[in-house]
Parts: sequence; structure tokens; C-alpha cells
Amino acid sequence: MATIARSMLLVLSLTLALGLTACATRTGAPPSEGTQAQPQEPLRIGASISLTGRYDRTGKEMQNGYELWAEQVNATGGITGRQVQFVIYDDTSDPETSRNLYEKLITEDRVDLVMGPYSSPVTLPASTVAEKYGYPMIASGASASDLYTRGYSNIFGVYTAAQLYLDGAIDIAVRNGYRTVAIVNENSAFAKDTVAGAKRKAEQAGLQVIFEEEYPNTVRDLAPVLTKIRPLNPDVLLGGTYGEDSTLLIRQMKDLNWTPRIVAFTVGPALPDFYQTLGEDAEWVMGATQWEPGLRGEGVAEFAAAYKTKYGYDSGYHAAGGYAAGQLLKQAIERAGSVDNGKIREALATMDANTIYGAYKVDATGSQVGKPSYMIQWLRGERKIVWPDAAAETAAVVPLPEWGRR
Amino acid sequence: MDYQTLLQLAVGGLLLGAVYALAAAGLNLIFGVMRVVNFAHGDLMILGAYTAFWLYDRGGVNPLLSLTISIPLLFVVGWILQRFLVYRVVGQPPLMSLILLWGVSLVIINAGLFFWTSNVRSVPYFSGGIDLAGIQISRSRGIAFVTALVLSIGVWLFLQRSRWGKAIRATAQSAEMALVCGINVNRVRLLTFGLAAAMAGAAGNLLITILALSPGVGPSFLLKAFAIIVIGGLGSFSGAFIGALVVGLLESFSAFFINAQAADAVIYFALILFLLVRPGGILGQRE
Repeated sequence: MATIARSMLLVLSLTLALGLTACATRTGAPPSEGTQAQPQEPLRIGASISLTGRYDRTGKEMQNGYELWAEQVNATGGITGRQVQFVIYDDTSDPETSRNLYEKLITEDRVDLVMGPYSSPVTLPASTVAEKYGYPMIASGASASDLYTRGYSNIFGVYTAAQLYLDGAIDIAVRNGYRTVAIVNENSAFAKDTVAGAKRKAEQAGLQVIFEEEYPNTVRDLAPVLTKIRPLNPDVLLGGTYGEDSTLLIRQMKDLNWTPRIVAFTVGPALPDFYQTLGEDAEWVMGATQWEPGLRGEGVAEFAAAYKTKYGYDSGYHAAGGYAAGQLLKQAIERAGSVDNGKIREALATMDANTIYGAYKVDATGSQVGKPSYMIQWLRGERKIVWPDAAAETAAVVPLPEWGRR
Repeated sequence: MDYQTLLQLAVGGLLLGAVYALAAAGLNLIFGVMRVVNFAHGDLMILGAYTAFWLYDRGGVNPLLSLTISIPLLFVVGWILQRFLVYRVVGQPPLMSLILLWGVSLVIINAGLFFWTSNVRSVPYFSGGIDLAGIQISRSRGIAFVTALVLSIGVWLFLQRSRWGKAIRATAQSAEMALVCGINVNRVRLLTFGLAAAMAGAAGNLLITILALSPGVGPSFLLKAFAIIVIGGLGSFSGAFIGALVVGLLESFSAFFINAQAADAVIYFALILFLLVRPGGILGQRE
């Protein structure tokens, strides 16, 4: 047994060493290109997108937005007479891969312009590369405050800041006389920001935050966390989440036969396939959203219709964000009168513009200050805006019924 | 800290533990018969899991029904691995089998990433929970538990009662003596690897109904299976179950009392502790 134990130890330590080095390889998928080139040289826009991996659902939505925008722009003659052509790589939702891909796009593929990837953790290193080469990057899929505190001049946000995402749920909770809040979040930049803002707002509003816990983005089982929360019986559950974990939370809440009176998560519930994945279990869940097809605004209805025609379902805010970013780029180029990165940067920093997302205006750091964020709730199988009042399609429905009584 | 929450955690951990036990018992079989640590064991589990996923995704197939496909499929995979690759390193220094099977593991992981992408998958066929005296038992865990138990008992009976089962145990005791007694040791090894792979595949098939998995997570389950057999006792079939109880409980309680990230670290810690203090495990021989 002794020799076996010793060889076990050897084997174990080698496993540990190899385990640290043998990470899953990253696939750099071949570039997918937008539309055909015309006699005049096409305008090549490079980006990495989370087409696979943890953020794949939202990444694909964003790509849809980019593609629809490119299609429409090219149909009307392109930008300054040049056809728009996207050069997109799959960053597999990994920040380091994205960093390498943007280096490749700028130095090897020599794209003319760049657009942002999806998610704050991925946009952080990607924007560093853009800053290094002086390519203005419209952050079309990220909102963490870290992006804007680094003193960069080449980053411009489309999304409202992360800290404001869950304001709507807190407001609704206060209005309905609820008192206690439990908070869970993924331990990445964006999610931390959302709950930091939510916690601050909750405390300001007189609510009591009785539970807070973070989990790694590799988590596969959230049952233990939920088991901790259940006996505390909070009125509200807020989640700084993405797609996978918000889905997992709902599933495991059902397994545990527990639900609080209000459930509000970031990102996940705003995804068009949230209801498809969870079915009726998704009913009454609230989600933070940057944009909804039901908003009143310039070009919103046309975009919503075009998206539905092309892809067969209603767009969510991630696709619309991609599209709006495209609109901003075009407006910046037209305002600057050139496709020179320096002039575009200048335009993006100073312009007031309008897109399907609403008003665009950035402050000195590049953070978006022109538009609010909203809250949706899944009601009878559809996403409805329930907050703020000015934009609401219908009133929020609270409390959520118990699992057995649905 | 009320006892009900503790009981809830314990039950959750134990239910999952049975599935781990099934995989760990397979790992133990390979080690017992061939003195080889199957570094691709976690990845074989993932293959079984993805079989269930593929069938569910394409045809909405009940994951229990998928077992009828994943078990024979993984048996064949195991057989082939032994027949063409692993036999070369049986009886060789442990480093050789480590490198070989680690290579197999990498191939499986990357093939998985290539065919199914790194997206996280699950088979949420059984949802909801059953209330048992105030304890919530998630249906998927409960069903997986019962199935894993049934399969484990089946394997145990096979090892105890059938001719080939006895041949396997004989070879585990001493390959030379088994050869002398007329046992076809090569056949036994093929059968063992196939059986163990099938058990891993079944465990993976059941696991994907409870947790969400992606191609790269095989090694973390290998760690758990490894910890289970070291803690439970190398070479002991029932040891795998004791070990699984311990690991299941550790996982559940550490995720609760510390946080989700701590669970793996605690299991590593327990594994190292046992290797240092009691390498034979709970049911194994004393040092």
C-alpha cells in the first residue's frame, strides 16, 4: 500500500501541475464577414464576440444587431459610399482571447475600425488594445464602471451604467411595502457593479439587505446558496447575473420549492430565449433592460419589425445595442466627415445623437449619461416594461405566487 | 443554524454523492485490476453526459432512457481505449499511464469543444422538488440517486456472482495467479475498462440532469472521483460509497458554510490529508 500511496502522491502532484496548464484551448473561429465588397474598398469593422462559451446567448444577439445594421446601411449605399464589412471572431467569452483577437484584428487584419465585444469582463482588455492603437471603441455590450475609470479616451458607452440596472426592482419593492433584500452575484466586474449600486440604492430607500454572496463564474450548482437564503425569508431576491446563472437560479429555486415576493436579475430575463428555456417557470421574473421593442422612440418600431422579420423573434436589448452602436458609428463618421480614427473619436466624445436606444451623450470618461435603464417583467409569456412609469407598458405584478399555486 | 437546514444540506450532498460513487467505483475497478489511474475518467463521464444531452436536444429523450444508449456506447469506448492504447502501459511505471491517459483526456475535451462548443449544457427533464418532512428533495437528484444506486448494486452483483465478475476480482488480486488459473487476463482487462467507462458514462448521463456541464469540466470530476476512492479505500468497491458520502457531504457543507468556490478546495485538502495520514482510506488496509 505504501508504494501505491507514494505513486498516488506523485500522480496527484503531477495532476495539479498539469491541471494548471491544461486549460481548454480557445478556438479562434474563422472570420465571418458581412456583406459583399463593392468596387470601392469596403469599410472593414473588426470585433470579437462571445459566440460560444458562458455568454454565448447574449453574444449572438449582439452579432445579430451588428449584422442587421450592416445589411440596412449597405442597402442604402454604405457609409461615405463604402460598403460596411464586419470581420468577426469568436472570443469564446474569454477576456484573454478577446485581447489577442483585437490585437490580430488591428495589426494583422488591419481593419479600419473596431466595435466592442460582449460583456464587461471581455470589454476591459479589448478596450485596452483599442486604446493602445488609438482606435475608438464603442462599448456596445458592457456597462461596468471600471471601463471608465482608467483614463482612456477611446472608449464610449452605449449602455446605461451598471449601478443603475436594478433600481426599478428596488423602487417597486418600496412601493409595495417590502422590507428585506437578498443579493447574489457573479464575481465579475459588471455583476459586482450592479449589486453595489443596488445595495446602495436599497439602503437609501430604507430597505434592509440581509444577505449577500458572490459565486464564481464557473459555478454549476447554486443550491447551497439558495439553501442559505431560504430560511432568511427575504422579500426580494436581486441577482447580478448573466444568462446561465439566472437560468440556474430559477431552476434550483423551483427544485427547492422556494420563491420570494420579487425576483429581479440582470441580463438573463431580458434575453428573448429566457422564457423558451424555462417555460412557465420564467413567469413573473423581472429583469433589468437597456431597451425594449415596446419603447416609444425614433426608429424603434422599424428596427423591431425588421429584426422580427429577419430573425423570427422579438429583439432583446443586446441585439438593439449592437444596432445602436452601428448607428452611432455612422453618425460619428458623418459628423467627422472622415473615417479617420482620431476624428471619429472626437465626434463620439462630443456629439449629441439619437439612436433606437434613445439619446446618446457621454461624459468626459466616455460613460453614457443620456439614457435611462428600464425594468421588464415576464407576464403571460411576454416581456413587458413595468418601470419607470413614464415608459411602462403595464403595472408590475407582485408578489410572485408560490410554486405550488401556479 | 437549525437542524432542518443541516439536514437539507446533508440530503442534497448524499444524493449527489451516489452519482459520484458510481463513477468512482469505475475508477477504482480500473485501478484495482490494472494499477492504472484513468486520467480520462472525468471526460468519459462528460461523454456520457453529452450523449444524454444530444438525445434530449434532438428528440426530447428522457435521460433515463438515454442510459440505454450511453451505457453501451461508453462501454465500447472503454473497450477500444484499452484494446489499442491502455494495454501498452499496464505494468509500466505510473508516469506512463498518466501521460497516456492525460493525452486521451485532452483529446476528448478538445473534441468536445469542437463538436459542441464551450456552451454550458443541461438536461432539465425532471424539475421541481418533493417535500419530505420539510426537506426539499429535488426530483432530478432523487431520481439520479435511485438510478445510481440500482446500477451500482447491479455492478456489485455482477462482480460477486458472475463468472466474469469473479475473474475480474481474481485478476485484481493477482494478475499472474489469474493467468495461471486459466483466466484470459487480456479479456478481463478489456471488460474492466469497458465496464468502468460505462459506469462513468452512466454517472455523467445522470449528472447532467442535476448540474450544468461543459466539455472542459471532466478533470474536476476526476478529482472528486479520485478523492472518493482515496478517502474510501483504494481497491475497495464499497469503499467508493463511503468515500462518496464523505465527499458529497464535504461539498455540500463547504459550499454552504464558506462559499461555492471553497468546495473543491476543501475536497483537495481532505484528499491530501488522507494521503498523508491514512493512505489506505477508510476501508482500505492500514499503512
